[in-house]
Amino acid sequence: MNKITRRDLIKLFGTTALSTGLMGASSLAFASKSAHIVIVGGGVGGAASAKYMRLLNPDVRITIVEPEPKYIFCPGSNEVVADFDTLESLTVDFNTLKSRYAVNIIQDRATEIDYAAKKLKLAKGDVLSYDKLIVSPGPDFKYDAVEGFSKQLAEGNFPAAWHAGPQTLVLRDQINALPQGGTVLITSPVDPYRCPPAPYERASFIANKLKTVNPTAKVIILDSKDDFIFHDVYLDYWEKMHGLGTPDARIEWISKKSGGHVTKLDTKNRTLTTANGQVHKGDVINIIPPEMAGSFVRMNGLSEGDWAPFNSKDFSTKRDKDVYIIGDSAAADPMPKTGYIASNQAKVVTKAIHAELTGKDIGTPFITNNCVALAADDWGMTVAETFRYAGNNKPFEESYIMSDPTKNPFYRHIRAEVAKNWQRTFRKDIYS
Amino acid sequence: MKKLLLLSAVTGLTCMLQAPASFALTGGISAEENAKLRAEYPMPSAEMLGDNCSACHGTNGAEFNEAMPPLAGMDKNNFIKLMKEYRENKFPSIVMHDVAHVFSDEEIEAMGDFFAKQKPEQWTRPDWNKSIKQHAEEHSHE
Ligand SMILES: Cc1cc2nc3c(=O)[nH]c(=O)nc-3n(C[C@H](O)[C@H](O)[C@H](O)COP(=O)(O)OP(=O)(O)OC[C@H]3O[C@@H](n4cnc5c(N)ncnc54)[C@H](O)[C@@H]3O)c2cc1C
Repeated sequence: MNKITRRDLIKLFGTTALSTGLMGASSLAFASKSAHIVIVGGGVGGAASAKYMRLLNPDVRITIVEPEPKYIFCPGSNEVVADFDTLESLTVDFNTLKSRYAVNIIQDRATEIDYAAKKLKLAKGDVLSYDKLIVSPGPDFKYDAVEGFSKQLAEGNFPAAWHAGPQTLVLRDQINALPQGGTVLITSPVDPYRCPPAPYERASFIANKLKTVNPTAKVIILDSKDDFIFHDVYLDYWEKMHGLGTPDARIEWISKKSGGHVTKLDTKNRTLTTANGQVHKGDVINIIPPEMAGSFVRMNGLSEGDWAPFNSKDFSTKRDKDVYIIGDSAAADPMPKTGYIASNQAKVVTKAIHAELTGKDIGTPFITNNCVALAADDWGMTVAETFRYAGNNKPFEESYIMSDPTKNPFYRHIRAEVAKNWQRTFRKDIYS
Repeated sequence: MKKLLLLSAVTGLTCMLQAPASFALTGGISAEENAKLRAEYPMPSAEMLGDNCSACHGTNGAEFNEAMPPLAGMDKNNFIKLMKEYRENKFPSIVMHDVAHVFSDEEIEAMGDFFAKQKPEQWTRPDWNKSIKQHAEEHSHE
C-alpha cells in the first residue's frame, strides 16, 4: 500500500497538527492555508465524499467527524438477520481513508454549526473551522409513531435493525430461537425510508430460513403502504415458494388498505395493534419505524418538515451555501434513500466544491441509482434509475426500468449474482 | 467457471439470453423529455458521467475482480459501440440496457473517452497518488 509521505501530510495539515498527533488529534489548529472540507458522518455519503474529494484535489484538508470507530454496511445486513452472512464481513474501518487518502478522522459527534463563524462544535468540546461542510449523518427513527415503542425497546428485545449493528444480531438470535410454528411480525413504514425493497427482502430471507428449520412458522408483514418497489416480483416469489394466498402460507403481506398500518405495541402480551383494531401476536416483533433526517440536521435548522432541502445544482443547503446535505437525510425525492444514491450525491458535491475552489463552472449534476435486491440466494431483481437535472430549484427528473417477475430462471439467477458482486464492489469503491 | 459464465452473460458475450425489453417495467419521464432536459443544460462532464459507473465497476472503472466487467482502459470505440447497442437493445443484456437507454451519443462518447484514459489495473494502484496529482493538473488546464 502506498502511503502519503510525512511531507505530504505536513503540507496538508500543517506541522502543529502533525506534531500533536494528526490522526484523531485533539489539536485542530491547522496551519495550512488550503481549504478545509469537514464532513459530518463517516457512513456511505461521508466516506465517499472524503475519498472522491481527495481524488480530485491533492491539496485540500479533509476531516471526517464520526462517533463510531468502525462502519457497518447496511447492504448485506438482511443476510446477517437470516444467518448466512456475518457482520464482520460488512464492517470496515477508517484506516485506508486515513493512510491512503490523508483524511483526518475525529471520533466524536458533531453537535452544532456556527454558520456565521463557519465553525462546527463537537460533543467533547472541540471546535473545527470549515470552509465547506458536508453533512451525511443518515436518518433518525420515529419510534413514537407506534404507541408503546421506544429507542430503549429497539435497543433491547424489540430490535428495529434498520442500521446494521447490535440490533441486527439480536434479531438474528430471536429468529434462531423462534418456537416451532411461531410467528414473526415485521412492520414496513410509510415512504420515504432507507432502502425501499429491504423490508420485503428481509421477510423473504427469514421465510426461506424457516422453510428448512421451522416449516410451520410464519412471517407476517404489516404494511403502512399499499404498494412497494418490486411488489410483483416479491408476490410472485412468495406464491411460488411460500404458498402466498393459501391457508398454509408461510408469508403474508397485509397492505394498509387491508389494515396493515400498525399503531400500537404491547410488550407484555407481545402484540401489535393496527389502525382497524386488529391485534397480531408475534413471538418475534420487528418494527421498522418511519424515518426523518438525522438529529444533527434537524437541530441545526437544515430541515423543513422531516428532511433537508437543497439546491439541485450542487446539494448546497437552502440554509447556507457552504453547507451541503447528502444521503438519507436529504429531501431528495424522487431519489430513493440508498447507499448508491448517497455515494453519487457525494460525487456531485465534491466536484462542485473542487470547481468552486479552482474557479471553474460547477457543471451539470447527473445521478444514477442502479440497485439490486434479493428474494433468495438465486433470485435477484434490479432497478436502473437515472436522475436528470431540471433546474436549481426543482427536483431531479427520474426515468427507470426495473425487473418484472420473469419466467426465465437465468435472469433472476444472474441478477442475484450481480447483487452479491455489487455489495463487494460498492464497499471497495467507498472505503478503499 | 460460474464466474466466467456470469461475466459473459452480464457483458452480453453470449447470445443464450434474449434482451429483456418485453419483461421490463418502465417509468418516469419519457425519452423525449429526457432529450429535452439534455438540450436545456450543458452536458454533464465526462467525470460526472463516468463516476456514476464506479459503484458497480469500481473506482475509475478499475475493478478487475468481480462479475461486473472492468471499464478502465477499455478501447473507446468498443465502449461506444457496445453502449449504443445496449441502448438500442440490439445486444442481449440483463442489466445494461436498463442503464444505457437514457444516454445520448455525446454522453456515451464522453464516457468512452473517460474510461479509455484510465489505467487498466486494479484500483488502488501503487502509483495512485501520482496519477491523481496528474489528473488534478490536467483538470486545471481545462
Ligand atoms: C437492511 C438494509 C439494506 C440496505 N441495502 C442497500 C442496498 O442494497 N443498496 C443500497 O444502495 N443501499 C442499501 N441500504 C441503504 C443504505 O444503507 C443507506 O441509504 C446509506 O447508508 C445512506 O448513507 P448516509 O451517509 O446517509 O448514512 P449512513 O451510511 O447511515 O452514515 C451515517 C453516519 O453518520 C454518523 N453520524 C450520525 N450522526 C452524527 C453526528 N451528529 N456527528 C457525526 N457523525 C454522525 C453515523 O454514526 C453513521 O456512521 C440498505 C439499508 C438497510 C437498512
